[in-house]
Amino acid sequence: MAIRNFYPENCIGCGNCVAACPMDVLRMDEEENKAYVAYPMDCIACWGCESFCTEGCFDISPERARGELVSPY
Amino acid sequence: MSDTGLPRVTLTTDVLVLGAGGAGMCAALKAKEAGADVLMIDKCGIGYSGQVPIGGGILAYVYPSYVDTWAEKVTRDSHFFNNQDWTWAFGGRMHQTTMDLADLGLKFLRKDGDIEVLTWGPNIHVTLFDAPKSLESLRRTAKARGVRMMDKIFAIDLLKNGDQVVGAVGFGLLDGRIYEFNAKATIVATGNCGYQHEKTYSSVLGEGPAMGYRAGAQLTNAEFNSMYVWGIKQLGKELMGIHFYLYLENARGEKIMGKYYPELMVGEHAVLTFDPRVIHAMYEEVKAGLGPIRLNLNGLTNDEIAGLCEEFVEDLSHIMANDTMLLLREKAGIDPSKETMEMWPRLLYTGGGMWVDPHCRTTLPGLWAAGGACSNLWTNGGGSQAGLGVQSAAVTGFAAGEDAAAYALGVPLVDVDRAYADRAIARVMAPLGRAGDVDAYDVTYRVHEAIVPMKYNRIREAGRMNEALGILDDARQKLARVGAADPHDLARYHSAESMLMVSEFNYTAALMREESRAQHFREDFPQRDDENWLKWITIEQGDGGPKLSTVPIPLQKYRLQPNP
Repeated sequence: MAIRNFYPENCIGCGNCVAACPMDVLRMDEEENKAYVAYPMDCIACWGCESFCTEGCFDISPERARGELVSPY
Repeated sequence: MSDTGLPRVTLTTDVLVLGAGGAGMCAALKAKEAGADVLMIDKCGIGYSGQVPIGGGILAYVYPSYVDTWAEKVTRDSHFFNNQDWTWAFGGRMHQTTMDLADLGLKFLRKDGDIEVLTWGPNIHVTLFDAPKSLESLRRTAKARGVRMMDKIFAIDLLKNGDQVVGAVGFGLLDGRIYEFNAKATIVATGNCGYQHEKTYSSVLGEGPAMGYRAGAQLTNAEFNSMYVWGIKQLGKELMGIHFYLYLENARGEKIMGKYYPELMVGEHAVLTFDPRVIHAMYEEVKAGLGPIRLNLNGLTNDEIAGLCEEFVEDLSHIMANDTMLLLREKAGIDPSKETMEMWPRLLYTGGGMWVDPHCRTTLPGLWAAGGACSNLWTNGGGSQAGLGVQSAAVTGFAAGEDAAAYALGVPLVDVDRAYADRAIARVMAPLGRAGDVDAYDVTYRVHEAIVPMKYNRIREAGRMNEALGILDDARQKLARVGAADPHDLARYHSAESMLMVSEFNYTAALMREESRAQHFREDFPQRDDENWLKWITIEQGDGGPKLSTVPIPLQKYRLQPNP
């Protein structure tokens, strides 16, 4: 899990989350003028979208969608 | 239409800026100020992409009257391995860069109307700025001044005509179109390579050094600057706060830092998240079978824990991603006063970008590099302090923008070599036509297996580095089996490829350098060897693969020479 909850009903279409996502997970639905989660598996839970969303549309849990990474040891 | 069947868009400009993080934004603004037409593109969204908005908002500062002393200290602390022309240029630009950023709309912490310069140690100065809003402020200024900007365009390769770089090719993540940019001057400002092991700087994936190399530019210092930071494993992020190191324990409950650095346990010290002493202690403890390392704040009150965390400066904004305690409590469900937390070093990035002169010109005509995409030549371990990353982006960005614009305004536009462009486009788009039986993520994971473990990349040794290169060979074979269903997949393919290339350069250069120096430590060559290794290692295209060479450091033409 990474995007634990997404509340599109709050979205005002500002596009901050799409701009801040380094993984191209989020896209804008131009017709609806709302963001949507296009590639959930690529979320690395950096909290960029949640940090820059002014409307509280995102709840991101710490785990990456594809699981934990290689150990440094 | 192109022969790939995809629509092709051609755009021309005086100065093309690839990447709109701190360096790209500064380059674009400066080039525009000089009167050039400027087009800036980014794979994410301009105003929020890159490393600056999600960073700590610290900008290193050197008083103009202190530049000579500072540069001399950096040189001596770098053991004369730095490019001294760059060190003096860098030091000399810091004050003006800070003032320019303020004029361009960056919000700084101020006192009585002036930018407040804080003292963070003996002759260590910083200013604080509003990081989350910084690039959005600069974007607004850029827009008002007529910089053309495009989001969600992923640039992959440079375009050439003869030796001259004449633009770049990329594709639209949203529309799938092939974008061909024809420019008089091209500035690569796409950062270095962060690998996404540590979350904070996840957007930089080696695209800049990789595209520079493929175009024939010279890279240098690839063996240096592999940097680890420490943080809470479950969060996957570095831990801000300068006193947390006091609470690191091994599996026996012993405080670890005092075992290796007793001096840090007495008096007041600021131990930052990238402090190599912490990484060293963690590595040694785990190697001795005393892992995992945990952060134990049990018994501290909430106020005491808050006092250990990053400081929140009034008047500047802060984002959730940088609020460690909020992430712990609300996202991970951890109460730090009751539970201990496993700590991990994370690979933050590796180094080694394009070689640049103090105007940020690369070895190719028509091509400049700024920020992480160019090599960090002004230092080799000397002068380390908080806030240099952003300052380096600003200094090199301004220098590149200024010089590229002056050049572009005096020359005609040179056409793209059609055959070269068609080959580049065919290469860039090739995965789209493949079925593929391996996911790009599996390649990235394999790259991580080679580049992340400290036994390969921090405590280096020939046998182990060859083992890592073997893993990278396997990753390269896997890459050939990756296909792409859409532009998003194509971007994942190219990110994996650039990470792979940069990690190969990291190890081939590290194997060549048979000594230890700055962050490059060889277990099999533990001493610094000035007699044989006051040389930079360069990487360029050769027949059939990368060609590594050495360049003696031209000490005779520099201000300072080592004592005989």
